[in-house]
Amino acid sequence: MQGRSRRAAGDPVFDRYRKVFSEGSTLYPRIAVYTGSGASHSWIWFADIFDRLGLFDVRFIDESSVRDTGLSGFDAFFIGGGDTYEMAFSLGEDGARAIEGFVRDGGFYFGSCAGAYLVLSGVDLEPFTHFNLIDGAMLNSMAAPPEPRCLEHKYKSAYGDGWVFHPVYGEVTVTGQHRAIGQCVNAPLFGGPVIGRAMPEDVLAEYSRLTERAAYLWPRREAEEFMIGRAAVLRSELDGGTVVVSGPHLEHPLYTAANALAAEVLTEHFKGRSGRVSRPSRSAASNSDTAPLLLEIKRQVSNARIVGFGLEKMPVAWRLGHKVWEPEKIRMFLECAWERLPFMEEHAELMGPSGGGLEPLARGYADVTRISKSLKMRIESGRDSQAEASMLLLSLKELTARFLSIYFRLRLETGFGRD
Amino acid sequence: MDVMYYGDTLIVDLPTGKTEQVEFSPEMLTENGPGLAAGIALYRDHEDGDPLVFGSGLLTGTTAPASSLGFVLGKSPLSGELAVSPLSLFSGAEMKLSGFSMVVIKGDSPKPVYLWLHDGVADVLDAAELWGLDTWGTTDAVRSEMGEQLVQVVSIGPAGESPSKLSAYSINYWGSGDTAALGARMGGKKLKAVALRGLGMLDAEEPQDFYEGAKGLLSEAPAWKGFNKACEGIDAGDIDGWLKPLVHRYRSCFACPAACNTFVKYNEGPSVMESTGVEEPGMLVTGAASAAWLLSGGWKAEPACRAMESMARAGIDLIRGARELAGSPLDDASETEEAVGGLSGGEEAGWPGGDSSPKGLFGPWVPPLADEDEWLLANRIGYVIGICPTYLLASGMETSGLFGLCSSAAGVELDPSMVAGMFS
Repeated sequence: MQGRSRRAAGDPVFDRYRKVFSEGSTLYPRIAVYTGSGASHSWIWFADIFDRLGLFDVRFIDESSVRDTGLSGFDAFFIGGGDTYEMAFSLGEDGARAIEGFVRDGGFYFGSCAGAYLVLSGVDLEPFTHFNLIDGAMLNSMAAPPEPRCLEHKYKSAYGDGWVFHPVYGEVTVTGQHRAIGQCVNAPLFGGPVIGRAMPEDVLAEYSRLTERAAYLWPRREAEEFMIGRAAVLRSELDGGTVVVSGPHLEHPLYTAANALAAEVLTEHFKGRSGRVSRPSRSAASNSDTAPLLLEIKRQVSNARIVGFGLEKMPVAWRLGHKVWEPEKIRMFLECAWERLPFMEEHAELMGPSGGGLEPLARGYADVTRISKSLKMRIESGRDSQAEASMLLLSLKELTARFLSIYFRLRLETGFGRD
Repeated sequence: MDVMYYGDTLIVDLPTGKTEQVEFSPEMLTENGPGLAAGIALYRDHEDGDPLVFGSGLLTGTTAPASSLGFVLGKSPLSGELAVSPLSLFSGAEMKLSGFSMVVIKGDSPKPVYLWLHDGVADVLDAAELWGLDTWGTTDAVRSEMGEQLVQVVSIGPAGESPSKLSAYSINYWGSGDTAALGARMGGKKLKAVALRGLGMLDAEEPQDFYEGAKGLLSEAPAWKGFNKACEGIDAGDIDGWLKPLVHRYRSCFACPAACNTFVKYNEGPSVMESTGVEEPGMLVTGAASAAWLLSGGWKAEPACRAMESMARAGIDLIRGARELAGSPLDDASETEEAVGGLSGGEEAGWPGGDSSPKGLFGPWVPPLADEDEWLLANRIGYVIGICPTYLLASGMETSGLFGLCSSAAGVELDPSMVAGMFS
């Protein structure tokens, strides 16, 4: 982990939450993160925040797990950004019912960006009809939004007969009465909702300022008039559970105050609940296969990062469903693994026979390197790269979820302290 | 070792193809000194393996002005003595960021191999398909294999493979300041190339002080384009004026305020900015000495540049090659290529009108811009802290500011006498 991200991870703001979760007075939650159809890359930021909070009982699940298991055995469920249509379509009515049942049984739902749109009651067309966890509507939709000043590819997505649009792309400030917010909190808004028709008592924070660290797709004054004073973060109780939705990405790793707000609502939900701490049993014996497998993963992730860096210089983007993916996203997935490899190397002897699933990961990352190189050659030669990019990004998403599952299992085995 | 050096020392045993990583400890810096001083200590530790040591200076790859310099250290086939040659352009910075603080390459491989160093991973790869290629073909092939044009490829051409004492390693396509025939040592080891790339970051011990210090030095650092400023007073001729009709652009090495390197076009109009499909429009002239030799011999710029391209492709030391060619100026491209093919290696490196004898550890890559003691000190300081010695001499930059950066970067206190002491 390097530079700003490492400094952010070391922010003392997280100490309190680590202490709360490790001392046993608060339930140590078993967490599920949605990585299935429609999820983009931003769910990997949840992994960062869980690392910072010392929450290591984490699984990364797809739509079939949600539908088939009804989130049974989990205490918290997180959905990040992506293609809301694809998420809703893939989860379907069964998935919606599973999520609602999970919350009513006392679960904690956190949705940012697409994960927020998904459960707003006012988003009520097919395939969203079944997902109604919290009162609120997206205000950033209209039949014919004005032309954007920039970032046309990020500006709008079809929604029924009209469009969902985004007047600002980047950092915003939110303000609210919650003690974790204090004066205000900055967080990035990458296409999340501007929320209306919420219950006043549900509004945790409103958009209060737009900053210089944002792209203005509308003229700034018009964007301010449209957004300021509108709800950004909502929280509502549903039977025994809690639903939190946020337009901005409170989980973004460079925004520690926003991370703290997310941590605060999480601890508030679990405070006073039983102090279960679950740890998997340690692997019985050390395994000499693990170190070479980790080295092979490191080799391939490094190779793919280097190609990925080269791809970032190319003027290309791909549309998967309703979501635009830039080449930068490739390296975000790879960095997620790269930053965690030193920890895994340090504890390689605990990883069990065949490294606890490392072998298929090594093969997978070798494929990623190969596809990345092929993709780059395809772009350089002016050929269409959509199909190959789609294959690469889906592979990366699936591999990263598997990698993180192994990583968090190891973290859980090795304890609750910091590095 | 986390401060200013990133990763372990890598020991490569070419006879077996195996690699080993050993800690690059803080003691290495305090006992021996950083940069070349640490490299020499490692060379001595592994001398029985007749090693080549690749490394970088303390500030290499940072925002300090002209912090481009890395090095290759080994026994020169020309003198039989220890000699150092520069890793300039972006190869020094990439060496620093490769994830290895220093690299010791021991023994001879039974078959052609190349080394791919990336983010702390060392791969000894088969070079059978690269063997026989010139440096341009090798660079293209390695970059294509790795899928990235920013990979820095330190390679040898057919001259190094033979191995000819006229050879030099080349940094990507553009030759190098290797006047000690370390390219021939690579060839003897069957080491076709060392490819470098890393996406790591360097940590300064006192980041804010380092940032302010580097920013202050940069704001006062003299800047220029072309070679003349770096050759003032040494009777090298008007190299910039001579090249001017062919100049397309100037390029600096990593983090250098001076853009000495001059890209010339002779296969298409030099004013053409867009890509026209001409596969090889020209070359980047990186060595003032080779240009100065050809200019002094009465060569026209265009055939001289073609001759430099031929030498760079073949992996021939551009300085010694140009000196040998200087007395017989040619016009015709094919005659030029033929002349390069017939070079004997009979001349020593040096500068026209200057001292031509090799200067011990350091070859004549750095122009004789000062008396011998000052020149020697600039080389020592440059290779220890990673700052281009030519820039130090030509800019007149005070070294005290750079030593201050060493302190805030890594807590290493240095002064000129301490650096001189590292070589005693």
